Amino acid sequence: MRTVAEVITVFFFILAMLGNANADQDRRQVSFVPQWLPQAQFAGYYVAFEKGFYERYGLEVDILRGGPERPSAEWLKNGAADFATMFLSTAIVERAKGTRLVNVGQILSRSSQVLIAKKSSGINSWQDLRGKKIQLWGAELSIMPTALFRRYGLQVTVIPQTSTVNLFLRGGVDVVSAMWYNEYHAILDAGVEPEDLVVFHLSDLGFNLPEDGIYCLETTFKKDPQTCCGFVRASLEGWRYAFDHEEEALDIVMKYVNEAKLPTNRPHQKWMLEHMREVINLPESGGYQTLLKEDDYKAVAGELMANGLIVTIPAYSDFLENCAAANEK
Amino acid sequence: MELKGYKQDKFFIVKASGRLDATTATEFEKFCLESIQQGESMLVVDLAGLEYMSSAGLRSILVVGKKLKSAGGSLSFSSLTPNVAHVFSISSFGSMFTVYDSLEKALGNS
Amino acid sequence: MKNRGLAFKLILFTLSGTMAVLLAAFAYFYHSSKDSMMQYAEENARNLTHSTVYQIEKVLVGVGKVPLNYASLLSGRNFEAEDIVRIVERMVSANPEIYGAAIAFEPDAFAAGAHYFAPYCCRKHDGHLTNVMLGDASYHYFTMDWYQIPRELNQAAWTEPYYDEGGGNMIMASFSVPFYKGKDGEKRFQGVVTSNIALNGLQEIVSAIRLYRSGYAFLISRNGVFITHPDSRLVMTNSIFSIAEEKKSSLLRRIGKDMINGGEGLVALQSGLLLRDKCRLYYAPLSSIGWSLGVVIPEHELLEGVNRLGRMVILIGLAGVFLLTIMVMLIARTITRPLKELSATTVEIARGNLDTRLPDILRGDEIGTLARSFEEMRLALKDYIKHLTETTAAKERIESELKIARNIQMSFLPKAFPPLPGKNRMEISARLEPAREIGGDLYDYSLIDDDHLFFAVGDVSDKGIPAALFMAVTKTLLKGIAETGMGPSVILNRCNLELCGENDSMMFVTVFCGVLDLRTGRLKYSNAGHEHPIIVRRDGQPEFLPVPEGFLLGVEEASSYQTMEIELKPGDMLIVYTDGVTEAVNAAGELYSHENLMATVRSCSSLSAEGIATEILASVKLFSSGIPQADDITVLSLSFTGAKV
Repeated sequence: MRTVAEVITVFFFILAMLGNANADQDRRQVSFVPQWLPQAQFAGYYVAFEKGFYERYGLEVDILRGGPERPSAEWLKNGAADFATMFLSTAIVERAKGTRLVNVGQILSRSSQVLIAKKSSGINSWQDLRGKKIQLWGAELSIMPTALFRRYGLQVTVIPQTSTVNLFLRGGVDVVSAMWYNEYHAILDAGVEPEDLVVFHLSDLGFNLPEDGIYCLETTFKKDPQTCCGFVRASLEGWRYAFDHEEEALDIVMKYVNEAKLPTNRPHQKWMLEHMREVINLPESGGYQTLLKEDDYKAVAGELMANGLIVTIPAYSDFLENCAAANEK
Repeated sequence: MELKGYKQDKFFIVKASGRLDATTATEFEKFCLESIQQGESMLVVDLAGLEYMSSAGLRSILVVGKKLKSAGGSLSFSSLTPNVAHVFSISSFGSMFTVYDSLEKALGNS
Repeated sequence: MKNRGLAFKLILFTLSGTMAVLLAAFAYFYHSSKDSMMQYAEENARNLTHSTVYQIEKVLVGVGKVPLNYASLLSGRNFEAEDIVRIVERMVSANPEIYGAAIAFEPDAFAAGAHYFAPYCCRKHDGHLTNVMLGDASYHYFTMDWYQIPRELNQAAWTEPYYDEGGGNMIMASFSVPFYKGKDGEKRFQGVVTSNIALNGLQEIVSAIRLYRSGYAFLISRNGVFITHPDSRLVMTNSIFSIAEEKKSSLLRRIGKDMINGGEGLVALQSGLLLRDKCRLYYAPLSSIGWSLGVVIPEHELLEGVNRLGRMVILIGLAGVFLLTIMVMLIARTITRPLKELSATTVEIARGNLDTRLPDILRGDEIGTLARSFEEMRLALKDYIKHLTETTAAKERIESELKIARNIQMSFLPKAFPPLPGKNRMEISARLEPAREIGGDLYDYSLIDDDHLFFAVGDVSDKGIPAALFMAVTKTLLKGIAETGMGPSVILNRCNLELCGENDSMMFVTVFCGVLDLRTGRLKYSNAGHEHPIIVRRDGQPEFLPVPEGFLLGVEEASSYQTMEIELKPGDMLIVYTDGVTEAVNAAGELYSHENLMATVRSCSSLSAEGIATEILASVKLFSSGIPQADDITVLSLSFTGAKV
């Protein structure tokens, strides 16, 4: 046994450590995974992290790298991530499958999905799509085009599409799916002129369904709604900052891009960021509008069901967690 | 003034034309005296072309005349123009020297 | 300042001319050299590009033959699974360029029930070959580019380059060939034979191209993506179009499109696009794959040699011009210095220092000639001035002599009206206008006694002081003899005798003299070779007075003189003059003549003696205006008024 002084010293030392631990516990550690590889589609989150917005809400966020190997829903299911972004349609399918995830904030309120055709293939209006070879992404991303074809009774040949638009560029298909903020610009980036293309915005054809949203497991939310809503808030602040400081935001995005050694470039990311501006609903007056509307929810779920991707439509109230309400608590 | 001198028989003829005045009198005097020095003593001065004579001219004539007189020669004049004739007349040179109407007349008489 | 101007002008013109020529020559040389250089460089680039393209295509086409062959093989007959695997293995082992190969079949095409059948063999880092089966739930190869593209296009195709999934940083490209089975007359797609080629060999070939210092070559894919680039950050991430977008260059975008469309060409690009500085881009297609090779030549590096040469030439030129300037200045100095000296000396001479010696300029050229001419001029000037000085002195002497003569003359002439008891019995007036050269006119009048007026007018033959003195003597004699009461002829006789002595120069004087009896108007007169006076009777016309003949005074001792008499009535006038009046010459060379005189007298016959004298003089002066007076002009007018005391 040491001297009393030493004991006291050790005692205070332990107290200090506990104190630190307590201080640590004031910052909640959370992890977040975007639904794809780093790109400007997730600029808001990177910016929020780099500019310390999450910290302001008492969050220490670990941003994980998403990608094609593992869908973001998997990360949530496995508990590998606390928060994830995914398409609304994907989330509904997961919920229907039994994954108890909840929507804590709808970020993209509008659809950016487009069908692109070359003018040289004689397509000028969506009626001309009849009988053509059309490349569609699988699963949830095909529901809207499929619904379109069904609505207008268009017989088309569908070719599966994965990660490139090269088949379209080479003339192997007449029409290709794209996100307005991504693949469209990639086509331009391959030397095609905008005036040589015909673009069908699904949002114009009555399919303006929301896409990216922030999700977490129900349990995660119930345990600490403050954290969840804080995460959403901070993320939106990140988005606002990104739109107000585009070049700085691009610097941040490119940092993550380069870390991941991705084959993309700044002009492409700039295009993407600028088009995010069009689809992310940030009210002018400030504040946040993250509520997923029930009508939109029902519309998407309805299409999913019509395509046989889900059997039942999960309850809207189960699906949604309204952070506005949570904050008033 | 132009002076021309030539011998004819025993006479030495001096033809003077132009003006015989203060500027030319010395020349005339010298011309005549030279001929006297060369032995001439019978001088006939033909003034057919002489349009004017001044007192200086008269004086030179007097000098020549004096010289000839002391040499035993003679001095005569011919073909005086009206102006010169007037001067001769006024100054009574006619009394000193013989004046002929023409050169022939002057040579005709010895 | 003038001289400075000369040197300055010389330098200016020589220099500007030289510089203009130099500049023109240089500009031409530089331009031609630049053009030559550019042409050479372009030629070089073209050759390099073509040879590199050829090199690359050789490899790629060579490699491409392998799947082509096997595809046709597979179209021919069916193979067992092990055969397929062996074929795949052989594709890799027999071809070092092939990194990996696979034969992938359509779903259920190889064998019923085998949804996926795609044996794949690849070469590991250690060189060993690994065989795997591709295709499972996570690897749905049907939608991969290497499978889908040849399937949909029904032709062999190269994929876009991609990063090897094995974790290495190798860039690969796959060449896939579809194969078919003919069944019932129609061809049916069976699958794809594909081989993966590592592009690092190509990258090395292209990267090795170094032109000048910063020139380089780059390879772009069908989509314009950089497969090789000196800036490795651009490889696989950027395309020529993204660069064009970033630099906002529509030109670069157009070039990119031309490149991927199989175009070939040469373009000039401004700074900042593909190189920091201006450059030329030469590009040619790899037609077999649809890629394109670009070669970038930095313009200024290319022209460095020419520029350096140009700078040297300019330096030499400038040095030359500088030397030329010095030389011209020196030459100019050799002209301006003697000119300055000459000029300074001339100024001195102009001031009157004719003895100033001109600087010795012993030169054979124009300056020397000029200097010698100056010297000659100076000496001539000196002589002339000396001569002039002498002449002027002589002239001044004569002038002074003349002045003296005139003074003598004038001093002897009566001016005033004689104080007469018989004042109102006659009027006498005389005018004498001396010429520049004094001829020696004289006039005199005086009362010999209360009732007799003696007057005389004379004209001495000579000029100058001798004439003046002669005139004085004559006058004195005349007056003296007259005062003894002798008659006019006696006066002249006596006077003549006195004057004849010692007169070798034959000076003579013509005289008209007369004595007027103031009581009776009887005039006794005599003449010695003098102009005949004019008598103007009061009630008659002017006439020439008949005079006795008499020779000039001073020549012939034997000369004799007579007296004549006339009666002057009151109002009659006698005008006595000298030949200065009648022999006055006008501008046309005409003489005033006796006619003119007579006419003048006639016109002013009613005037007083003074009036007539003045009038005649004025008339003569007017007549001969402009012509210098050659002889003295004398007019004496005497009018007998006859008034009793």
